[in-house]
Amino acid sequence: MTKIYHTFMIEMKLYTRDFFSFFFTFAFPSLLLLLYGSIYGNEPTVYFDGYGTIDVSIPAYCAMIIGVTGLMAFPLTLAHYKEHQIYKRLDATPVGKGFVIWIQTAVNIIMTLLGFLLLFIVGKLAYDVEYEGELWAISIAILLSIAAIFSIGFLFTSIARDSKMTNLLCYLSYFLMLFLSGATMPKEMFSDTLLSISKFLPLTYVVDLLQGTFNGEALHEYNFEIGMLAGICLLCSLMGAIFYKRKNWA
Amino acid sequence: MKNKIVTVNNLSIQYKTTTAVQNLSFSIKEQEIYAIIGPNGAGKTSTVECIEGLRMPSSGKVSVLGVTPHLNRKRMYKQMGIQLQEADYPDKMKVKELCIYFSAFYDHPADWRLLLKQLDLQKRENTLIKKLSGGEKRKLSILLALLPKPKLLILDELTTGLDPEARRMMWQSLLNIRNAGTTILLVSHYLDEVEHLADRLLYLVDGHKQFEGTLEEFRQYAENQITPSERKHNLNLEQLYLLVSPKKGALLSEVMK
Repeated sequence: MTKIYHTFMIEMKLYTRDFFSFFFTFAFPSLLLLLYGSIYGNEPTVYFDGYGTIDVSIPAYCAMIIGVTGLMAFPLTLAHYKEHQIYKRLDATPVGKGFVIWIQTAVNIIMTLLGFLLLFIVGKLAYDVEYEGELWAISIAILLSIAAIFSIGFLFTSIARDSKMTNLLCYLSYFLMLFLSGATMPKEMFSDTLLSISKFLPLTYVVDLLQGTFNGEALHEYNFEIGMLAGICLLCSLMGAIFYKRKNWA
Repeated sequence: MKNKIVTVNNLSIQYKTTTAVQNLSFSIKEQEIYAIIGPNGAGKTSTVECIEGLRMPSSGKVSVLGVTPHLNRKRMYKQMGIQLQEADYPDKMKVKELCIYFSAFYDHPADWRLLLKQLDLQKRENTLIKKLSGGEKRKLSILLALLPKPKLLILDELTTGLDPEARRMMWQSLLNIRNAGTTILLVSHYLDEVEHLADRLLYLVDGHKQFEGTLEEFRQYAENQITPSERKHNLNLEQLYLLVSPKKGALLSEVMK
């Protein structure tokens, strides 16, 4: 237990010392929420099927946080440790690199959930938001979304030959999905062309699934989104594991 | 008769079409300081990585502390300290945090605060790793290698980046560590270091063993390879090494200065 505790706590500290990860997980979504809230308020509108701007924005910003941790923080940490031979050094200890990779995964998931919590607290205090969704359905939707997006980040680190290439893949995919999946701008504002593009982006299904389950819709109404995310998770995890096995860790 | 801590029998290491090490055999006895020397690409690091369990031999047998390294790594690492040639650490971690991080991996680690003091790093306890000098990072690597209170300590390019004073302090620390019962395997390009520390050495060229024995035996081996006129000079170990090296011709005038 001591080794789990110390490794976990120190990896948590490292996460908070990375400005990009920390800012985009904790500060940016809340600031965006306050900004849009000050402009549009949270009055129910037909534009969002009777929900307010903040009601639909919080689940979308949760998707944004999953994007930050799954497509940026997690894969870039793996790439940094790999390229600087930190994993090789850790492999020469009784715990091995596998133990540390699991801890890093756990840290990024916890940070994702803490980011959600902060967003809800801001939403509750500033706009008194409430959600009708069942906790178990929301939990399943969140876990599946995290698994799918993290698996994409994992795949990037396994196929990229160095951290520069991992950076490129992560930044491209993150910013593309950030703006074209409905995570920042509501999809209701998209043109038909943008809507067509968004269907090819995994984060779109995360946004749809989270918005639906948060607002009390049944999980089975999102079978397509669930199927897409489960498929992405399986495929990327499998391919990532195969490429990692072939990767030279030296 | 001292026990053998490391035994290597007919070790070969192949990378695709390149043979890094061929039919190499040697052993390291308990509580000795054993050095591996040779030019770049001689197969030193590949050999050491097989002993560390980080690389699988293409053929041959390696036994370390009574186990086969790549099959019993976790058990072996409880008694083995390793300083890798090029490994780095997370640059946003503080020195103290890195010590706690690595100490947590062992059941009964050495006191890292004491080691920090012994290695003259205690003032850097709260410094981020990215702010350490090359020499300080090297010392930190050695500190981490000492955390398991190792029976076998493997040091690859021990004093690269250390200033002359720090090198000599490090040598003295290593002699103390050896005298306390630890066996040390040293890979080095610095022959003065080998001359000061090693009990025996292994000389590799292109993956082949050229020589194994004590420093005195190496002197005799080298003197037998050189001309009588070269022998007249009072040559130190490094000059002898250069004269038996495959690039002798290019180095000859430099050595005779």
